[in-house]
Amino acid sequence: MLENRLPYFFIVASSLLHAYVQAEEVEVHGFIAQGLIQAPHSNYVDDEGDLSFDLTEAGVNASYRLTPSLRVAGQAVYLNAGNRYAEGARIDYLFADWTAINTLDTQLNVHVGRYKNYHWYYSSIQDVPHARPSIILAQSAYIDAFRDVALGSDGVGLIWQKATDNGEWEVDWSYGTANISREQMQNLLSDIAQGELNQDFVHQFSVKYRDVMSNWQVGFSLLDSDFTYDATPDEILYSGDAVSQRIMVYGVYNWKNLEIVSELMRERAIYNGILSPDFFNQSVAEGGYVQAKYHFSADLSITARLDLYDRDKEDRDGTRLSQMSGGTIPSYFGYMDQAMLGVSYDFAENWRVQAEVHRVKGAGRLAPLLAPDPIANDRKYWNIFALHVMHWF
Amino acid sequence: MDSFGYLRCLFIALVLFAVPAVEARNDNLQVVVITNASVSSHALSTSQLRRVFSMRQLTWPDGQSMRVFVLNNKHEAHEAFCVGTLNMFPYQLERMWNKLIYSGLGEAPTEVASLDEMLEKVMTTPGAIGYVPSSIVPSENIQIIRLEEG
Repeated sequence: MLENRLPYFFIVASSLLHAYVQAEEVEVHGFIAQGLIQAPHSNYVDDEGDLSFDLTEAGVNASYRLTPSLRVAGQAVYLNAGNRYAEGARIDYLFADWTAINTLDTQLNVHVGRYKNYHWYYSSIQDVPHARPSIILAQSAYIDAFRDVALGSDGVGLIWQKATDNGEWEVDWSYGTANISREQMQNLLSDIAQGELNQDFVHQFSVKYRDVMSNWQVGFSLLDSDFTYDATPDEILYSGDAVSQRIMVYGVYNWKNLEIVSELMRERAIYNGILSPDFFNQSVAEGGYVQAKYHFSADLSITARLDLYDRDKEDRDGTRLSQMSGGTIPSYFGYMDQAMLGVSYDFAENWRVQAEVHRVKGAGRLAPLLAPDPIANDRKYWNIFALHVMHWF
Repeated sequence: MDSFGYLRCLFIALVLFAVPAVEARNDNLQVVVITNASVSSHALSTSQLRRVFSMRQLTWPDGQSMRVFVLNNKHEAHEAFCVGTLNMFPYQLERMWNKLIYSGLGEAPTEVASLDEMLEKVMTTPGAIGYVPSSIVPSENIQIIRLEEG
Protein backbone atom coordinates (compact mmCIF):
# COMPACT_ATOMS: atom_id res chain seq x y z
CA MET A 1 0.00 0.00 0.00
CA LEU A 2 2.76 2.39 0.99
CA GLU A 3 4.71 1.57 -2.16
CA ASN A 4 1.66 2.32 -4.30
CA ARG A 5 1.36 5.77 -2.73
CA LEU A 6 5.08 6.52 -2.89
CA PRO A 7 5.12 8.30 -6.27
CA TYR A 8 2.19 10.51 -5.28
CA PHE A 9 3.79 11.38 -1.95
CA PHE A 10 6.93 12.09 -3.94
CA ILE A 11 5.20 14.54 -6.26
CA VAL A 12 3.30 16.39 -3.52
CA ALA A 13 6.46 16.81 -1.47
CA SER A 14 8.48 18.00 -4.46
CA SER A 15 5.73 20.43 -5.52
CA LEU A 16 5.79 21.96 -2.06
CA LEU A 17 9.56 22.12 -2.24
CA HIS A 18 9.31 23.68 -5.69
CA ALA A 19 7.06 26.42 -4.29
CA TYR A 20 9.28 26.95 -1.26
CA VAL A 21 12.49 27.42 -3.19
CA GLN A 22 11.13 29.82 -5.79
CA ALA A 23 12.72 32.71 -3.98
CA GLU A 24 16.03 30.92 -3.45
CA GLU A 25 18.94 30.20 -5.79
CA VAL A 26 17.89 26.57 -5.91
CA GLU A 27 16.21 25.10 -8.99
CA VAL A 28 13.75 22.30 -8.38
CA HIS A 29 11.89 20.42 -11.12
CA GLY A 30 10.08 17.14 -11.37
CA PHE A 31 7.69 14.90 -13.21
CA ILE A 32 5.13 12.20 -12.66
CA ALA A 33 3.71 9.81 -15.23
CA GLN A 34 1.25 6.95 -15.02
CA GLY A 35 0.15 4.72 -17.84
CA LEU A 36 -1.30 1.51 -19.12
CA ILE A 37 0.73 -1.03 -21.03
CA GLN A 38 0.20 -4.47 -22.49
CA ALA A 39 2.55 -6.79 -24.37
CA PRO A 40 0.71 -10.08 -24.99
CA HIS A 41 2.77 -13.24 -25.61
CA SER A 42 5.89 -11.75 -24.08
CA ASN A 43 7.43 -11.11 -20.66
CA TYR A 44 8.34 -7.56 -21.63
CA VAL A 45 6.05 -6.07 -18.92
CA ASP A 46 4.87 -9.14 -17.00
CA ASP A 47 5.05 -12.87 -17.54
CA GLU A 48 1.34 -13.17 -18.35
CA GLY A 49 1.18 -10.42 -20.98
CA ASP A 50 -1.85 -8.85 -19.26
CA LEU A 51 -2.93 -5.23 -19.33
CA SER A 52 -0.85 -3.56 -16.64
CA PHE A 53 -0.59 -0.31 -14.71
CA ASP A 54 3.13 -0.96 -14.29
CA LEU A 55 4.07 2.21 -16.11
CA THR A 56 4.78 4.62 -13.28
CA GLU A 57 7.59 7.16 -13.26
CA ALA A 58 8.06 9.96 -10.75
CA GLY A 59 11.13 12.10 -10.25
CA VAL A 60 12.35 15.25 -8.63
CA ASN A 61 15.61 17.03 -9.31
CA ALA A 62 17.37 19.99 -7.80
CA SER A 63 20.43 22.05 -8.56
CA TYR A 64 22.12 24.58 -6.34
CA ARG A 65 24.71 27.09 -7.41
CA LEU A 66 27.38 27.42 -4.72
CA THR A 67 29.53 29.87 -6.69
CA PRO A 68 29.31 31.18 -10.29
CA SER A 69 31.48 28.24 -11.41
CA LEU A 70 30.42 25.50 -9.00
CA ARG A 71 27.03 23.87 -8.61
CA VAL A 72 25.60 20.58 -7.43
CA ALA A 73 22.75 18.74 -9.14
CA GLY A 74 20.83 15.57 -8.38
CA GLN A 75 17.72 13.63 -9.28
CA ALA A 76 15.81 10.90 -7.47
CA VAL A 77 13.22 8.79 -9.26
CA TYR A 78 10.70 6.12 -8.44
CA LEU A 79 9.95 3.54 -11.14
CA ASN A 80 7.46 0.75 -11.49
CA ALA A 81 7.61 -0.74 -14.95
CA GLY A 82 7.06 -4.44 -14.38
CA ASN A 83 9.82 -6.63 -15.75
CA ARG A 84 11.39 -3.73 -17.63
CA TYR A 85 13.22 -2.23 -14.64
CA ALA A 86 13.79 -3.07 -11.02
CA GLU A 87 10.92 -1.44 -9.10
CA GLY A 88 11.73 1.21 -6.53
CA ALA A 89 13.46 4.50 -5.89
CA ARG A 90 16.98 5.32 -7.00
CA ILE A 91 19.33 8.26 -7.43
CA ASP A 92 19.76 8.81 -11.17
CA TYR A 93 22.46 11.40 -10.77
CA LEU A 94 24.14 13.43 -8.04
CA PHE A 95 27.28 15.31 -8.94
CA ALA A 96 29.32 18.45 -8.48
CA ASP A 97 29.58 20.48 -11.68
CA TRP A 98 32.65 22.71 -11.95
CA THR A 99 32.83 25.11 -14.90
CA ALA A 100 36.58 25.22 -15.45
CA ILE A 101 36.47 27.34 -18.63
CA ASN A 102 33.66 29.70 -19.53
CA THR A 103 33.92 32.14 -22.40
CA LEU A 104 31.32 33.03 -25.02
CA ASP A 105 32.86 30.45 -27.36
CA THR A 106 34.29 27.75 -25.12
CA GLN A 107 33.16 25.93 -22.04
CA LEU A 108 34.67 23.05 -20.08
CA ASN A 109 32.71 21.36 -17.31
CA VAL A 110 33.97 18.71 -14.90
CA HIS A 111 31.41 16.44 -13.26
CA VAL A 112 32.38 14.44 -10.18
CA GLY A 113 29.98 12.02 -8.49
CA ARG A 114 27.15 10.04 -10.07
CA TYR A 115 27.30 11.68 -13.48
CA LYS A 116 24.83 11.13 -16.28
CA ASN A 117 25.54 9.49 -19.62
CA TYR A 118 25.55 12.32 -22.18
CA HIS A 119 27.17 10.29 -24.94
CA TRP A 120 24.18 8.94 -26.87
CA TYR A 121 21.47 11.09 -28.38
CA TYR A 122 18.76 10.20 -25.85
CA SER A 123 20.87 8.74 -23.02
CA SER A 124 20.64 11.75 -20.74
CA ILE A 125 16.86 12.05 -21.02
CA GLN A 126 15.84 8.41 -21.24
CA ASP A 127 14.56 8.59 -17.66
CA VAL A 128 12.38 11.67 -18.27
CA PRO A 129 8.95 10.81 -19.70
CA HIS A 130 8.13 14.15 -21.34
CA ALA A 131 11.62 14.57 -22.79
CA ARG A 132 11.68 11.19 -24.53
CA PRO A 133 10.32 10.97 -28.07
CA SER A 134 8.18 7.97 -27.13
CA ILE A 135 7.08 5.94 -24.12
CA ILE A 136 9.46 3.15 -25.09
CA LEU A 137 12.78 4.04 -26.69
CA ALA A 138 14.44 2.08 -29.50
CA GLN A 139 15.54 -1.13 -27.82
CA SER A 140 18.51 -1.71 -30.12
CA ALA A 141 20.34 1.23 -28.50
CA TYR A 142 18.38 1.83 -25.27
CA ILE A 143 17.60 -1.66 -24.03
CA ASP A 144 15.44 -1.42 -20.91
CA ALA A 145 17.32 -4.19 -19.07
CA PHE A 146 20.43 -1.97 -19.05
CA ARG A 147 18.57 1.21 -18.09
CA ASP A 148 20.30 1.89 -14.77
CA VAL A 149 23.76 0.85 -15.99
CA ALA A 150 23.46 2.96 -19.14
CA LEU A 151 21.99 6.04 -17.48
CA GLY A 152 24.99 7.10 -15.44
CA SER A 153 27.96 6.03 -13.36
CA ASP A 154 29.92 6.96 -10.27
CA GLY A 155 33.11 8.65 -11.39
CA VAL A 156 34.22 11.65 -13.37
CA GLY A 157 33.04 13.20 -16.63
CA LEU A 158 34.30 16.04 -18.82
CA ILE A 159 32.19 18.09 -21.24
CA TRP A 160 33.95 20.45 -23.62
CA GLN A 161 31.88 22.71 -25.86
CA LYS A 162 33.16 25.03 -28.55
CA ALA A 163 31.19 27.44 -30.73
CA THR A 164 32.85 28.23 -34.07
CA ASP A 165 31.75 30.30 -37.06
CA ASN A 166 30.47 27.14 -38.75
CA GLY A 167 28.93 25.20 -35.91
CA GLU A 168 29.09 23.88 -32.40
CA TRP A 169 31.31 21.06 -31.19
CA GLU A 170 30.85 18.99 -28.06
CA VAL A 171 33.36 16.44 -26.81
CA ASP A 172 32.43 14.27 -23.82
CA TRP A 173 34.62 11.87 -21.86
CA SER A 174 33.74 9.87 -18.77
CA TYR A 175 35.13 7.10 -16.61
CA GLY A 176 33.33 5.38 -13.75
CA THR A 177 31.38 2.41 -12.57
CA ALA A 178 27.67 1.76 -12.04
CA ASN A 179 26.10 -0.03 -9.12
CA ILE A 180 24.09 -3.11 -10.17
CA SER A 181 21.29 -4.09 -7.81
CA ARG A 182 20.25 -7.69 -7.19
CA GLU A 183 16.99 -7.18 -9.11
CA GLN A 184 18.84 -5.70 -12.03
CA MET A 185 21.38 -8.52 -12.02
CA GLN A 186 18.58 -11.09 -12.16
CA ASN A 187 16.93 -9.09 -14.92
CA LEU A 188 20.15 -9.30 -16.92
CA LEU A 189 21.21 -12.85 -16.11
CA SER A 190 18.35 -14.90 -14.75
CA ASP A 191 16.31 -15.43 -11.59
CA ILE A 192 18.64 -18.31 -10.76
CA ALA A 193 21.60 -15.92 -10.35
CA GLN A 194 22.39 -15.65 -6.62
CA GLY A 195 25.86 -14.09 -6.76
CA GLU A 196 27.03 -10.56 -7.27
CA LEU A 197 27.43 -8.76 -10.57
CA ASN A 198 29.75 -5.75 -10.60
CA GLN A 199 30.70 -3.35 -13.30
CA ASP A 200 34.49 -2.97 -13.04
CA PHE A 201 34.55 0.20 -15.13
CA VAL A 202 32.85 1.98 -18.00
CA HIS A 203 34.92 4.26 -20.20
CA GLN A 204 33.11 6.45 -22.73
CA PHE A 205 34.03 9.07 -25.29
CA SER A 206 31.87 10.96 -27.76
CA VAL A 207 32.00 13.82 -30.25
CA LYS A 208 29.00 15.79 -31.53
CA TYR A 209 28.77 18.50 -34.17
CA ARG A 210 25.83 20.75 -34.93
CA ASP A 211 26.03 22.86 -38.07
CA VAL A 212 24.96 26.43 -37.39
CA MET A 213 23.53 27.30 -40.79
CA SER A 214 21.71 24.07 -41.49
CA ASN A 215 19.77 21.73 -39.28
CA TRP A 216 22.15 18.81 -39.31
CA GLN A 217 23.64 17.28 -36.22
CA VAL A 218 25.99 14.30 -36.25
CA GLY A 219 28.08 12.44 -33.72
CA PHE A 220 29.74 9.24 -32.66
CA SER A 221 30.49 7.55 -29.34
CA LEU A 222 32.69 4.77 -28.01
CA LEU A 223 32.14 2.61 -24.93
CA ASP A 224 34.30 0.03 -23.20
CA SER A 225 33.14 -1.75 -20.06
CA ASP A 226 34.05 -4.83 -18.02
CA PHE A 227 31.82 -6.81 -15.67
CA THR A 228 32.62 -9.47 -13.08
CA TYR A 229 30.23 -12.08 -11.74
CA ASP A 230 31.03 -13.67 -8.37
CA ALA A 231 28.92 -16.78 -7.92
CA THR A 232 27.90 -18.17 -4.55
CA PRO A 233 29.16 -21.70 -3.74
CA ASP A 234 25.73 -23.33 -3.94
CA GLU A 235 24.25 -21.87 -7.11
CA ILE A 236 24.01 -23.19 -10.66
CA LEU A 237 25.96 -20.36 -12.27
CA TYR A 238 29.74 -19.94 -12.09
CA SER A 239 31.98 -16.99 -11.49
CA GLY A 240 33.11 -15.26 -14.64
CA ASP A 241 33.43 -12.00 -16.46
CA ALA A 242 32.03 -10.14 -19.42
CA VAL A 243 33.18 -7.37 -21.74
CA SER A 244 30.96 -4.92 -23.59
CA GLN A 245 32.33 -2.61 -26.26
CA ARG A 246 30.05 -0.39 -28.25
CA ILE A 247 30.46 2.08 -31.09
CA MET A 248 27.57 4.31 -32.11
CA VAL A 249 27.01 6.93 -34.77
CA TYR A 250 24.03 9.21 -35.02
CA GLY A 251 22.54 11.84 -37.25
CA VAL A 252 19.67 14.28 -36.74
CA TYR A 253 18.00 16.39 -39.37
CA ASN A 254 15.32 18.98 -38.69
CA TRP A 255 13.28 20.24 -41.59
CA LYS A 256 10.64 22.66 -40.39
CA ASN A 257 8.24 20.51 -38.39
CA LEU A 258 9.82 17.21 -39.27
CA GLU A 259 12.66 15.75 -37.25
CA ILE A 260 14.49 12.63 -38.37
CA VAL A 261 16.83 10.88 -35.94
CA SER A 262 18.92 7.81 -36.60
CA GLU A 263 21.38 5.98 -34.39
CA LEU A 264 23.38 2.95 -35.48
CA MET A 265 25.36 0.76 -33.14
CA ARG A 266 27.74 -2.18 -33.15
CA GLU A 267 28.37 -3.95 -29.85
CA ARG A 268 30.95 -6.61 -29.09
CA ALA A 269 30.09 -8.85 -26.14
CA ILE A 270 32.44 -11.40 -24.60
CA TYR A 271 31.31 -13.86 -21.94
CA ASN A 272 33.86 -15.90 -20.02
CA GLY A 273 32.56 -18.46 -17.52
CA ILE A 274 29.21 -17.73 -15.79
CA LEU A 275 27.22 -20.47 -17.60
CA SER A 276 29.95 -23.10 -17.09
CA PRO A 277 33.60 -22.95 -15.97
CA ASP A 278 34.85 -23.26 -19.58
CA PHE A 279 32.13 -21.26 -21.28
CA PHE A 280 33.41 -18.67 -23.75
CA ASN A 281 31.31 -16.74 -26.21
CA GLN A 282 32.11 -13.74 -28.33
CA SER A 283 29.60 -12.05 -30.60
CA VAL A 284 29.11 -8.76 -32.35
CA ALA A 285 25.59 -7.38 -32.29
CA GLU A 286 24.39 -4.77 -34.75
CA GLY A 287 21.36 -2.55 -34.63
CA GLY A 288 19.93 0.84 -35.24
CA TYR A 289 16.82 2.81 -35.85
CA VAL A 290 15.36 5.55 -37.99
CA GLN A 291 12.77 7.73 -36.32
CA ALA A 292 10.60 10.47 -37.78
CA LYS A 293 8.73 12.89 -35.56
CA TYR A 294 6.31 15.34 -37.11
CA HIS A 295 5.03 18.35 -35.17
CA PHE A 296 1.55 19.33 -36.34
CA SER A 297 1.63 22.12 -33.77
CA ALA A 298 3.39 22.95 -30.51
CA ASP A 299 0.98 20.53 -28.79
CA LEU A 300 0.47 17.67 -31.23
CA SER A 301 3.00 15.36 -32.84
CA ILE A 302 3.26 11.88 -34.26
CA THR A 303 6.30 9.62 -34.16
CA ALA A 304 7.14 6.65 -36.37
CA ARG A 305 10.19 4.49 -35.84
CA LEU A 306 11.76 1.41 -37.33
CA ASP A 307 14.27 -0.30 -35.07
CA LEU A 308 16.37 -3.32 -36.08
CA TYR A 309 18.61 -5.47 -33.91
CA ASP A 310 20.65 -8.62 -34.57
CA ARG A 311 22.24 -10.28 -31.56
CA ASP A 312 25.10 -11.73 -33.60
CA LYS A 313 26.03 -10.40 -37.03
CA GLU A 314 27.27 -13.89 -37.93
CA ASP A 315 23.93 -15.41 -36.95
CA ARG A 316 21.34 -12.82 -37.96
CA ASP A 317 18.43 -15.25 -38.16
CA GLY A 318 19.28 -16.92 -34.83
CA THR A 319 19.74 -20.41 -36.30
CA ARG A 320 23.05 -21.03 -34.58
CA LEU A 321 21.69 -19.72 -31.26
CA SER A 322 18.84 -22.20 -31.46
CA GLN A 323 21.16 -25.07 -32.44
CA MET A 324 23.57 -24.31 -29.57
CA SER A 325 20.67 -24.55 -27.11
CA GLY A 326 19.58 -27.89 -28.51
CA GLY A 327 16.44 -26.27 -29.86
CA THR A 328 15.19 -25.05 -26.49
CA ILE A 329 15.73 -21.39 -27.48
CA PRO A 330 13.82 -20.50 -30.67
CA SER A 331 15.76 -18.77 -33.40
CA TYR A 332 13.70 -15.57 -32.99
CA PHE A 333 15.72 -14.80 -29.84
CA GLY A 334 18.56 -13.96 -32.22
CA TYR A 335 17.05 -10.65 -33.29
CA MET A 336 14.39 -8.08 -32.45
CA ASP A 337 12.93 -5.74 -35.05
CA GLN A 338 10.36 -3.23 -33.96
CA ALA A 339 8.08 -0.80 -35.81
CA MET A 340 6.41 1.90 -33.73
CA LEU A 341 3.72 4.48 -34.35
CA GLY A 342 2.84 6.95 -31.61
CA VAL A 343 0.98 10.18 -30.98
CA SER A 344 1.64 12.84 -28.36
CA TYR A 345 -0.74 15.60 -27.30
CA ASP A 346 -0.22 18.36 -24.72
CA PHE A 347 -3.76 18.84 -23.45
CA ALA A 348 -2.83 21.51 -20.88
CA GLU A 349 0.23 23.45 -19.76
CA ASN A 350 2.85 20.87 -18.69
CA TRP A 351 0.43 17.97 -19.16
CA ARG A 352 0.78 15.41 -21.94
CA VAL A 353 -0.84 12.19 -23.06
CA GLN A 354 1.07 9.76 -25.27
CA ALA A 355 -0.15 6.60 -26.97
CA GLU A 356 1.80 4.16 -29.09
CA VAL A 357 1.66 0.77 -30.68
CA HIS A 358 4.63 -1.44 -31.48
CA ARG A 359 4.75 -4.39 -33.84
CA VAL A 360 7.69 -6.56 -32.85
CA LYS A 361 9.43 -9.41 -34.63
CA GLY A 362 11.74 -11.45 -32.43
CA ALA A 363 12.70 -11.41 -28.76
CA GLY A 364 16.45 -10.75 -28.79
CA ARG A 365 16.29 -7.74 -26.44
CA LEU A 366 14.00 -9.27 -23.82
CA ALA A 367 15.31 -9.97 -20.32
CA PRO A 368 16.81 -12.08 -18.97
CA LEU A 369 19.42 -11.77 -21.68
CA LEU A 370 21.71 -14.65 -20.74
CA ALA A 371 18.93 -17.18 -20.17
CA PRO A 372 16.02 -16.32 -22.49
CA ASP A 373 12.48 -17.33 -21.50
CA PRO A 374 10.88 -19.14 -24.47
CA ILE A 375 7.77 -20.09 -22.48
CA ALA A 376 6.61 -16.55 -21.75
CA ASN A 377 7.88 -15.37 -25.13
CA ASP A 378 6.17 -17.95 -27.28
CA ARG A 379 5.55 -15.89 -30.41
CA LYS A 380 7.89 -14.62 -33.09
CA TYR A 381 5.54 -11.69 -33.74
CA TRP A 382 4.03 -9.78 -30.86
CA ASN A 383 2.71 -6.31 -30.03
CA ILE A 384 3.02 -3.62 -27.39
CA PHE A 385 0.27 -1.13 -26.61
CA ALA A 386 0.97 1.75 -24.26
CA LEU A 387 -0.80 4.87 -23.01
CA HIS A 388 0.97 7.38 -20.77
CA VAL A 389 -0.26 10.54 -19.03
CA MET A 390 2.41 12.80 -17.61
CA HIS A 391 2.86 16.09 -15.78
CA TRP A 392 6.04 18.03 -15.20
CA PHE A 393 7.10 21.22 -13.48
CA MET B 1 6.43 -10.04 -47.94
CA ASP B 2 5.65 -10.77 -44.28
CA SER B 3 3.65 -8.42 -42.06
CA PHE B 4 6.84 -6.81 -40.83
CA GLY B 5 7.87 -6.08 -44.39
CA TYR B 6 4.64 -4.15 -44.93
CA LEU B 7 5.33 -2.15 -41.77
CA ARG B 8 8.80 -1.28 -43.05
CA CYS B 9 7.29 -0.01 -46.31
CA LEU B 10 4.71 2.02 -44.37
CA PHE B 11 7.41 3.59 -42.24
CA ILE B 12 9.57 4.54 -45.24
CA ALA B 13 6.51 6.05 -46.94
CA LEU B 14 5.75 8.10 -43.81
CA VAL B 15 9.28 9.49 -43.75
CA LEU B 16 9.44 10.24 -47.47
CA PHE B 17 6.02 11.78 -47.89
CA ALA B 18 5.60 13.69 -44.66
CA VAL B 19 5.31 17.24 -45.98
CA PRO B 20 5.60 20.08 -43.52
CA ALA B 21 2.20 21.72 -43.18
CA VAL B 22 2.93 24.38 -40.60
CA GLU B 23 5.00 27.38 -41.58
CA ALA B 24 6.26 30.11 -39.31
CA ARG B 25 3.15 32.12 -38.55
CA ASN B 26 4.77 35.44 -39.37
CA ASP B 27 7.86 35.25 -41.57
CA ASN B 28 8.12 39.05 -41.64
CA LEU B 29 8.32 39.54 -37.90
CA GLN B 30 11.79 40.87 -37.11
CA VAL B 31 13.18 40.35 -33.65
CA VAL B 32 16.07 42.09 -31.91
CA VAL B 33 18.15 40.73 -29.06
CA ILE B 34 18.28 43.04 -26.05
CA THR B 35 20.31 43.09 -22.87
CA ASN B 36 20.40 45.08 -19.70
CA ALA B 37 22.63 48.13 -20.10
CA SER B 38 25.06 46.67 -17.54
CA VAL B 39 26.20 44.02 -20.08
CA SER B 40 29.57 44.91 -21.56
CA SER B 41 29.19 42.73 -24.69
CA HIS B 42 27.69 44.60 -27.64
CA ALA B 43 27.72 41.94 -30.38
CA LEU B 44 27.08 38.17 -30.49
CA SER B 45 27.28 35.55 -33.24
CA THR B 46 24.53 33.03 -34.01
CA SER B 47 26.57 30.26 -32.39
CA GLN B 48 27.06 32.35 -29.27
CA LEU B 49 23.35 33.22 -29.13
CA ARG B 50 22.49 29.54 -29.44
CA ARG B 51 24.73 28.80 -26.52
CA VAL B 52 23.18 31.61 -24.49
CA PHE B 53 19.54 30.69 -25.19
CA SER B 54 20.14 26.95 -24.85
CA MET B 55 21.39 27.84 -21.33
CA ARG B 56 24.92 26.58 -21.80
CA GLN B 57 26.40 30.02 -21.23
CA LEU B 58 26.00 31.11 -17.64
CA THR B 59 28.16 34.21 -17.30
CA TRP B 60 29.20 37.15 -19.47
CA PRO B 61 32.90 37.47 -20.38
CA ASP B 62 33.33 40.09 -17.65
CA GLY B 63 32.14 37.58 -15.04
CA GLN B 64 28.67 39.01 -14.56
CA SER B 65 25.96 36.36 -14.13
CA MET B 66 23.73 35.94 -17.15
CA ARG B 67 19.92 35.93 -16.77
CA VAL B 68 18.02 34.63 -19.78
CA PHE B 69 14.39 35.61 -20.36
CA VAL B 70 12.17 33.95 -22.94
CA LEU B 71 8.55 34.13 -24.08
CA ASN B 72 6.19 31.15 -24.14
CA ASN B 73 7.03 28.75 -26.96
CA LYS B 74 3.67 29.52 -28.61
CA HIS B 75 4.32 33.28 -28.74
CA GLU B 76 4.92 34.43 -32.32
CA ALA B 77 7.91 36.55 -31.27
CA HIS B 78 9.50 33.42 -29.74
CA GLU B 79 8.89 31.47 -32.92
CA ALA B 80 10.31 34.29 -35.04
CA PHE B 81 13.34 34.53 -32.75
CA CYS B 82 14.04 30.79 -32.88
CA VAL B 83 13.63 30.43 -36.63
CA GLY B 84 14.97 33.80 -37.77
CA THR B 85 17.78 34.44 -35.29
CA LEU B 86 18.85 31.09 -33.84
CA ASN B 87 18.13 29.16 -37.06
CA MET B 88 16.37 26.42 -35.16
CA PHE B 89 12.80 25.47 -34.30
CA PRO B 90 11.06 26.12 -30.97
CA TYR B 91 10.67 22.40 -30.27
CA GLN B 92 14.46 21.96 -30.62
CA LEU B 93 15.13 24.70 -28.09
CA GLU B 94 12.54 23.27 -25.70
CA ARG B 95 14.17 19.84 -25.95
CA MET B 96 17.55 21.37 -25.13
CA TRP B 97 16.07 23.01 -22.03
CA ASN B 98 14.49 19.73 -20.97
CA LYS B 99 17.81 17.98 -21.41
CA LEU B 100 19.58 20.59 -19.30
CA ILE B 101 16.97 20.72 -16.56
CA TYR B 102 16.40 16.99 -16.19
CA SER B 103 19.94 15.75 -16.69
CA GLY B 104 21.63 18.15 -14.30
CA LEU B 105 23.54 20.03 -16.97
CA GLY B 106 22.02 23.44 -16.44
CA GLU B 107 19.17 25.63 -15.40
CA ALA B 108 15.95 26.71 -17.06
CA PRO B 109 15.50 30.17 -18.60
CA THR B 110 12.93 32.44 -16.98
CA GLU B 111 9.70 32.55 -18.95
CA VAL B 112 7.86 35.87 -19.07
CA ALA B 113 4.18 36.24 -19.83
CA SER B 114 4.26 39.21 -22.20
CA LEU B 115 6.45 41.58 -24.17
CA ASP B 116 5.89 44.24 -21.51
CA GLU B 117 7.20 41.90 -18.85
CA MET B 118 10.15 41.01 -21.08
CA LEU B 119 11.11 44.70 -21.35
CA GLU B 120 10.64 45.26 -17.65
CA LYS B 121 12.73 42.23 -16.65
CA VAL B 122 15.58 43.02 -19.04
CA MET B 123 15.54 46.65 -18.00
CA THR B 124 15.68 45.95 -14.26
CA THR B 125 17.83 42.79 -14.05
CA PRO B 126 21.63 43.16 -14.22
CA GLY B 127 23.11 40.74 -16.79
CA ALA B 128 19.70 40.11 -18.40
CA ILE B 129 19.24 39.08 -22.04
CA GLY B 130 16.01 38.65 -24.01
CA TYR B 131 14.38 39.56 -27.30
CA VAL B 132 11.49 41.67 -28.57
CA PRO B 133 10.03 42.54 -32.00
CA SER B 134 12.11 45.24 -33.67
CA SER B 135 8.99 47.43 -33.87
CA ILE B 136 9.18 47.88 -30.12
CA VAL B 137 11.44 50.73 -29.12
CA PRO B 138 13.53 49.53 -26.19
CA SER B 139 13.29 51.49 -22.99
CA GLU B 140 16.09 53.15 -21.14
CA ASN B 141 18.66 50.93 -19.50
CA ILE B 142 18.41 48.45 -22.40
CA GLN B 143 20.86 47.93 -25.27
CA ILE B 144 20.28 46.20 -28.61
CA ILE B 145 22.84 43.50 -29.40
CA ARG B 146 24.46 43.55 -32.84
CA LEU B 147 24.33 40.16 -34.61
CA GLU B 148 27.54 38.93 -36.20
CA GLU B 149 28.11 36.24 -38.81
CA GLY B 150 28.61 32.66 -37.59
